[in-house]
Amino acid sequence: MIDAELQDWIDKSLNETATEDDAVALEKRLLADSEACDHYLNAVNLHSSLRRRFSAEVERVSLPRRKFQLGFAIAASLALIAGLISFWLIPNPPIAAITQVVGGYGDSGKAFRMGELVKSGPLKISRGLVRLDFLNDARITIEGPAEIEVMDEMRVVLHRGVVTATIPESAIGFVVDTATTHVVDLGTSFGVSVSDEGLTNVCVFDGEVEVSSSDNPNGRLLTQGQAVQTTKDSGTVDSVAYNTTQFENAWPVNSGVLQTTGSMRFVSPGPDFHPGNFEDNEHIVVFPERREFVPDEVIRVDMVDPGQYAKSRFKDKPTLLPEQRLTSYLLQLNAYPDGKNPNRRRSVRGQITFAQPIVGVIMANRLLKESEAIFGIPNVDYPGARMIEARPEGDQRQGFDSVILAADRRTLIIELRENPGNLDQFRVLVEAE
Amino acid sequence: MSSPFPENAAQHEAFVQLYVKHEAAVFSFVLAMVSHTADAEDIVQRASMTMWRCFDKFELGTNFRAWAFQIAKNEVLNHLSKIKRDRHVFSEKLIGLLADRAEEQAENLDARRRALDSCVEKLPADESEIVKGCYREGSTIRSFAEQSGETANKVYKQLNRIRRRLQKCIERQLGIEEVAS
Repeated sequence: MIDAELQDWIDKSLNETATEDDAVALEKRLLADSEACDHYLNAVNLHSSLRRRFSAEVERVSLPRRKFQLGFAIAASLALIAGLISFWLIPNPPIAAITQVVGGYGDSGKAFRMGELVKSGPLKISRGLVRLDFLNDARITIEGPAEIEVMDEMRVVLHRGVVTATIPESAIGFVVDTATTHVVDLGTSFGVSVSDEGLTNVCVFDGEVEVSSSDNPNGRLLTQGQAVQTTKDSGTVDSVAYNTTQFENAWPVNSGVLQTTGSMRFVSPGPDFHPGNFEDNEHIVVFPERREFVPDEVIRVDMVDPGQYAKSRFKDKPTLLPEQRLTSYLLQLNAYPDGKNPNRRRSVRGQITFAQPIVGVIMANRLLKESEAIFGIPNVDYPGARMIEARPEGDQRQGFDSVILAADRRTLIIELRENPGNLDQFRVLVEAE
Repeated sequence: MSSPFPENAAQHEAFVQLYVKHEAAVFSFVLAMVSHTADAEDIVQRASMTMWRCFDKFELGTNFRAWAFQIAKNEVLNHLSKIKRDRHVFSEKLIGLLADRAEEQAENLDARRRALDSCVEKLPADESEIVKGCYREGSTIRSFAEQSGETANKVYKQLNRIRRRLQKCIERQLGIEEVAS
């Protein structure tokens, strides 16, 4: 029996004016009365049909005859529906995922989140760093403010901002285009930036890329340690001094280092890499070593838990859990006798945050040697004696090295004392990404 | 943009054909459960994407509408579990009941939608204007009332009356006995 009460609840529900009580009463009635249910479904059916019918209708003021108008309206609504459907259904699967975010925000102030999937299309980053990993394992890190267009998993177009790319074999041929320049990767890591004035800079950290422009259509091979730029107007590819400064935020993120502060510098090792030769008085330098690797051996380390590094006896040193996939980094301060004051003793401080948890830090000379065979870069001559000198317990004197693993297990707070002619080195093992 | 894979393109076409045929039924089905047009539109859009993603699991020749209802119902439950309870939402029990009922009544509801067209044509001009004004894309009853300088309450009442008149017209068309009132 369809009474006025039920009809009233239904009307209110359709008009979206039902109060909480109305909705509760309607629910109660529908649960108890199948005739009421059918009546309700009929009413909603009519309501939804009217919505569909008229929401797709176009303004028809200027059209003369009613019959014609109706035909036109139907055609228009069909076209609209077809358009909507094809819009939703274009097979446009995600081609990349956001795997790292360091203070990365979109143009409306919305924070990017790790794990977000990215389809082809424009991407605006107002500030911070965002790393995309493509299905073919190409990795790019974008530093805002940036405007980039993801075309497919082999090509992006950079309109403004900074991009660093690390391209494995599976994605050789990856392209970064700018308004003036076409950069094709040949298996490498490199950076591309576009300034507000339209100046394109390309810097090769490792391996080779091919750079072409309107005046250099055949392309020019660029190898590690080389850099070029193209201005908006010239169209020529001009060599410039190799300077990685503008890529120093984005580049480490490709290798799992989220942030370095203080006197820290991230360096990608090339074929001629030799840590001992890498002299830098001012910085603690970070070299990525072996990536994503499961060692067979028992790995003995100096530190696994948050806290400050202290010397310990060999038999007390913890070992890592077996079967862990690890990525290794070598950190170094190589002070060399310098000009006027060869005997100065400064402290170099810095902080580094990895994307993944640190599972072990290796300081002792013997353990460094052991782990070199496993995590070191093949064919690289690692130096002999190295020394991180921790403050002995109870010792109040100044001038020791300090390495603290922070409670987040991702950050190291480091203070190394320069000791000219000596090499401070230690190895950090991080869970593979 | 068309799919580069011919197999996929054929599948896409088959899907679009089925989907266009049943989209109205799915929308009505969802709206009955959430009683909120904007939410229903979002849910239907999400459901349509799920349908396309899972279309390879649909056996051609079987009942697409039943399959689509099932997916839409899951989207509804998903939606209702997520939204803030700032208004009453139907219980899972009622959703289940309505889904079963809508499934049983599907043919009847299809016929009613078809009959509606000629009934709308027969509306007098002033009522036709009200229906168009309220159901136009982006319009609400309230915004239409504002535009036409009427109180919302008056428009609600007019609309309730028009809908009842249309319902009667549909039932006459289908030769259904008027429900005693």
